[in-house]
Amino acid sequence: MSGIPDTYPIDMAPLKSDLKMPYTLTPGRAAGTFLAEIVSRRIVGTSFTKSGTVVVPAQDFCPSNGDAEFEFIEAPETGVLTAFTETEAGLIGLIRIDGTDVDFPHRIVGAGYADLSVGLRVQAVWSDNGAVGILAIAGFRPAPEAPIGAIKPLANPAKPLEVVPYEMTLHYEHAFGPYYGRLFDEIKTNRRIMGVRSPSGDGAMIPPREICDITHKPTGTWVEVAQTGTVRAMSIIYLEFLGQKQPPPYIYAEIMLDGASTRLIHNVAGLDMSRAKELVKPGTRVRAVWRETRTGSLDDISHFEIIDAKDS
Amino acid sequence: MSRHVGIVGVGQTHHARRRTDVSQAGLVREAVDRALSDAKLTIEDIDSVIVATGPVLFAAVNQPEKWVVDAIGAQLKPVVRVTSGGGTGLAGTLAGYYQIAGGLVDRVLIVAYDKLSEGALQYSISTLYDPFWGREFAVGIMGFSAAYWRARMDTLGHTEEAAAMVAVKNRHNAMNNPYAHVKKEVTVDDVLKSKPLAWPIKLLDVPPISDGAAAVVLSSERMAAKSTDRPAWIHGIGYFCEADNAPSRSLLVSEPLAIAVRRIYRTAGITNPRRQFDLVELQEPYTCFELSYYESLGLCAPGEAAELIRSGATQLDGDIPVNPSGGCAGANPIGAAGLIRVVEAAAQVMGKAAGNQIPNAKLALAQAGGGWANLRGVAVLSA
Amino acid sequence: MGDGLESEKHKMNTGKVAAIASAQTELRTAWSGAQHIDLISAVVTQVFKGTGLDLDDVDFVLNSGSDVLDGRSISNCGFLGAMGAHHKEESRVEEDGLWAALYGVTKIASGAADVGLILAYSKPSESDVNLFYSSQCEPFYQRPVGFDHRAASGMQAQSYLRAHGVTETQLANVVSRRWQDAAQRGRVAIAAVPDAEAVLASVNVAAPLRKLMMSRPVDGAVAVLLASEDIARRAARTPVWFTGMGASMDRHAFAARQPGVLEACSVAARRAYDNAGWKSVRPAVAEVSASSAASELMVLESLGLAAPGHGIDLLDGADVAVNLSGGALPADPIMATGLVRLSEAMRQLSTPGLYGLKAPTAAVVHGAGGVGMQTHCAMTLEV
Repeated sequence: MSGIPDTYPIDMAPLKSDLKMPYTLTPGRAAGTFLAEIVSRRIVGTSFTKSGTVVVPAQDFCPSNGDAEFEFIEAPETGVLTAFTETEAGLIGLIRIDGTDVDFPHRIVGAGYADLSVGLRVQAVWSDNGAVGILAIAGFRPAPEAPIGAIKPLANPAKPLEVVPYEMTLHYEHAFGPYYGRLFDEIKTNRRIMGVRSPSGDGAMIPPREICDITHKPTGTWVEVAQTGTVRAMSIIYLEFLGQKQPPPYIYAEIMLDGASTRLIHNVAGLDMSRAKELVKPGTRVRAVWRETRTGSLDDISHFEIIDAKDS
Repeated sequence: MSRHVGIVGVGQTHHARRRTDVSQAGLVREAVDRALSDAKLTIEDIDSVIVATGPVLFAAVNQPEKWVVDAIGAQLKPVVRVTSGGGTGLAGTLAGYYQIAGGLVDRVLIVAYDKLSEGALQYSISTLYDPFWGREFAVGIMGFSAAYWRARMDTLGHTEEAAAMVAVKNRHNAMNNPYAHVKKEVTVDDVLKSKPLAWPIKLLDVPPISDGAAAVVLSSERMAAKSTDRPAWIHGIGYFCEADNAPSRSLLVSEPLAIAVRRIYRTAGITNPRRQFDLVELQEPYTCFELSYYESLGLCAPGEAAELIRSGATQLDGDIPVNPSGGCAGANPIGAAGLIRVVEAAAQVMGKAAGNQIPNAKLALAQAGGGWANLRGVAVLSA
Repeated sequence: MGDGLESEKHKMNTGKVAAIASAQTELRTAWSGAQHIDLISAVVTQVFKGTGLDLDDVDFVLNSGSDVLDGRSISNCGFLGAMGAHHKEESRVEEDGLWAALYGVTKIASGAADVGLILAYSKPSESDVNLFYSSQCEPFYQRPVGFDHRAASGMQAQSYLRAHGVTETQLANVVSRRWQDAAQRGRVAIAAVPDAEAVLASVNVAAPLRKLMMSRPVDGAVAVLLASEDIARRAARTPVWFTGMGASMDRHAFAARQPGVLEACSVAARRAYDNAGWKSVRPAVAEVSASSAASELMVLESLGLAAPGHGIDLLDGADVAVNLSGGALPADPIMATGLVRLSEAMRQLSTPGLYGLKAPTAAVVHGAGGVGMQTHCAMTLEV
């Protein structure tokens, strides 16, 4: 039933990859107003015109039916706990603020799981460490005696916040699998670039994999491809962007190594960049130049250098 | 495929470099409201919703259809997201088409959007590459697109000058497009002198980064009359792909596009695209792609794209206007760009193009694509 | 009314599309010796066995996967070769695989294609499942307070248990039974089957839900082959016909959903049953997805297989065999779970003897997605 390739089992630790991306998110009118007003310890919600549904925190669209016409209201700090749980993040509950129609999630503070019950009255606790946004409210604490508050219209709402900085970091550990495992093991240990014979017999496929991408047939035996090859396509990179591995200008190239039927992506370097257009074109012959260090990745090849006509 | 699914309403936002007044959800709602209004319907009339966006890493919300469902007012309707990089709008239209043609529902709302101002575009799109093999060299999609263009310069004569003419034409056309936000004409010289980013791609070969959304309402034949007496019927639609590591990777001709074209033209009865189509709306991530598509779409033979643009045939007053809307040069919210092409092509044959209406337009071609230039499709629309 | 239920509605082309074969890798907590493409190509290679068909016969490939789980933007475009999609029509549905199957059925039902390959896969072991879900939460109000899938599941379970007096021991019994069934059927790698005591002793993840009461993410891939009627009758001894399909997405705001029930699941099921013409709901087989033992009971009730609060009764031999595969609790290949349910139901309907089933003629299969199971898809299958 398995059919998972097992050609050359190698125990390689997975490749770690972190995607760390900055964002500037736009909250929109309702959330933007909430975020602006919370700074002054005002809890803002929206009262939808057609249905009369009141929600906190403020939303542009009624969560029940998408209505888009609303007025801002100011909500009291008290409400009722309608559900709760405890996760790694702490105590999280759903709170129905007095006078509103829809609950929302927030933290529960000043109590343990065993102290809580559905129906318990709660009260907002303001953060004292300058937290912004929804966390300007540190959480809600049990307040069984707290009187029921009322919503009131919000006069002169603050100008909505337009941009909220945010960051997302996603961490991955990618398994090599036996084909990439051998490929990079050979690169690291023997400084050889290995592919597998394509089912049709025309050249080797790199990177190697068990099944041919075109025919979906099993690929053949392992074969070393040359360290020399031909540039098939190239571009001179001047653009600077976040996450770039080297400063521009540099040459991005697709190279067909001699013996391979698929391309390898790398840089062509070691030339006078002011003559790049003239010296590097489709058809230019190049050769791999290895670094001192060995990490078992394409980075072990520092770059490809032009093979002078007199060398080839 | 017979004429039983049509576009009965279209809408798009006024695209902008940055919309700070609405969240992603608000942007979606704007386009949806316009398309529904154009179709004389309310969300209650819609049976199913398809959301199409660019890759989620663009804007920090995973599976965003689950967030924007509330904004659309589609709670409890079937909602699904189809994705295909830049071509996602066309892929979404294709999925919606089959929901109707397959008899599941009568009306589908397709909404596509991207809020590119929110994220680190080049970085997140560079994760398209294999983390083991090539990602460290990635320059978004610009790097390989530029490299392929360089190869086509030699073999097909797609010169920098010819590509510059594409920029001139599209930016000129965008001047009249009320939804575009780049409103600045350029000359061939301006383009050639603009800063190289990934040579041969230069600054003025590149579309803007935009926030924007578009939406269409698809209807079965029997329900179409409630919205319009002139739907844009979908006569053929398809979306093909190519393995990214294909040895004969489409440097010269986009093979998945050529396959799509061959199949869909046959279905739709297109034997001479240049003569038969009244206009083409194609998605050009960079100017060089428009030249390549002239050939892949059969508007001219391979190697003749430069001549075609030089001849003026693809201008508004030419015999095969291409991108009367201005294409991506006027606005490029990537996840929406493919659907914007469909919107513009549909509006043309329905006789209600907002900007440069091609007189008597009856038959239009929309093209879009994404991924590693390996996901490509077309739609043939007629009224 | 826009949900397709009015009397004049399009009924699905009943009996016209069948699932004719499926293949699945073993589901493991970590396939550490394989990449995504290895899992995908394995099932694509195997799925044709016994049908007399091969990849050349496939008209289109639809796949389900997640950029966020894969760590790649537009991840489908890097896996197209392994999917067998080269030069075919392809689309990525960024939702559970059962939605990809739904799309495939509409495409064949429309007459545009005869054979479709539906794929779903994931390797949650390579990333952080909690982030996969929390990144679906709206970023301004929900994410910062720590609201996520676990919190939603915990509060969902709390509401359900309170409403019906179902106990944690009963939840533990469900878990233990499912793990037992999964271990016996041999398609899930299980080191040890927990008894109810072990379930109750596992750590609290989202009180009242303990770790073993949550569905366990696993790596795996699954392929299902769909065919039009003519081909299905030739290629499969027991074609499994799609007689009804429905989907529904609930509100993003968890608190705005009805507590203690899965409204969208009921809506999806009703649509499927109406399409199938099922007056009463008594399939012999049910394969359903779930994110926790509590939500599995809620799903069974929402599907109409038990009265509210009585999902637990189905554990003790009822006329419907529930999750003989073990369901999602022991093995949840996120993004593929619903398609695995389809694959398992196919096996139960076509080789009932292996499962101790008499002569089952109908099954209901279910897939879901989103935080707190926001969106649902239900299908009726008949032989």
